[in-house]
Amino acid sequence: MKETELTALWKAYDQKLEEHLQVNRQHAADITRLKVQSALSSMKPSKIFTLFIGLIWVSLGSTVVFNLAVYAPDKVSIFFLLSAGFQLILTAIALVVYLYQLILIRQVDISEPVLAVQERLARLRSSTLQVTRILFLQLPAWTTFFWSESMFEHNHTSLLILPVAITLIFTAATPWLFFNIKYENRDKWWFRFIFSGKEWDPILQAMEMLEQLKGYQKT
Amino acid sequence: MAEKDEERFLAVIAAHKRLIYKVANSYCKDDEDRKDLIQEIILQLWRSFSRYDPQYQLSTWIYRIALNVAISFYRKERRKQDLHQPIPETLIYLKDDTPLDQTNVRLNYLQRFIRELKEIDRAIILLYLEGSNQQEIGQILGISTTNVSTKVSRIKQQLQQKFSKIKTL
Repeated sequence: MKETELTALWKAYDQKLEEHLQVNRQHAADITRLKVQSALSSMKPSKIFTLFIGLIWVSLGSTVVFNLAVYAPDKVSIFFLLSAGFQLILTAIALVVYLYQLILIRQVDISEPVLAVQERLARLRSSTLQVTRILFLQLPAWTTFFWSESMFEHNHTSLLILPVAITLIFTAATPWLFFNIKYENRDKWWFRFIFSGKEWDPILQAMEMLEQLKGYQKT
Repeated sequence: MAEKDEERFLAVIAAHKRLIYKVANSYCKDDEDRKDLIQEIILQLWRSFSRYDPQYQLSTWIYRIALNVAISFYRKERRKQDLHQPIPETLIYLKDDTPLDQTNVRLNYLQRFIRELKEIDRAIILLYLEGSNQQEIGQILGISTTNVSTKVSRIKQQLQQKFSKIKTL
């Protein structure tokens, strides 16, 4: 097909639309008057639910840990207090970062050039990975919160090997995951394994978009 | 004042209905998705209407918003069930319900081939076929004119190759 045929074909399409396309004026007017919910900029109920649960977890958890640490430090293990405190601080940081990213996404000006807007959106969406990286830092805390001083005083060394080994493995895995969960590793099997599932699709799609945009940014 | 704005906005929509429809049709084949996308484009145009910068042509401003919404919408999973107050009726529709694909097979193929392109390539060829020059395309997308020129040639080549594979045409 020649170029002239291509443009002629498009003109025929234009002609067809010119003759038959109608605007439902009443419903277009409704959009200017009703508080119509946007499919793009409205926040998903699942995201609101995640933020809500996270907020309750951090509020209740920090109240309990704070009260135990201040009013009953002798009745609770120091390992529990440190592990729970560490976990709660990281969850609180992740919540703040997550909320900040959601706000930034909603503030993007979509009347700016297409590539700039798409790149900004894709970068913000893919940066949700940062939240996941922060949350992965909690891993060792989940292996130590049940430890106690008596565990080390009364147990034989052989019985301590397993819990300590698990903690060491998680402690080693944590920085590795923190530094390796990034866009460049998206094709690695372990990355695909961690981020398999529908909830990660928007992030992986955002990464694909960033990759696609690279091809247009060269002058 | 608000009524005046509303009137102006409706006039803009009426004047650019083909542009909005073509963008939506290039990113959504499914009727229901296209209906939702047209609603979303018009909603976002209305939300940005008061901030329209007259230094740009109206069509440039509409293209930017329509393409940005279409690309984001296309990549997002459908969320119709999440909407609290959807407008069920079609905002921009074809009066003659004879499908385009029955009246023009080649046009149907062209639309299909365009939909098979990457999202940004789709925007480039759409603007090119609409008659925008390289400078305008560059301004809407935010890329250099040299880049536009290279991409347009490549996309045209791709489309021509696809057409050449169809023996019936």
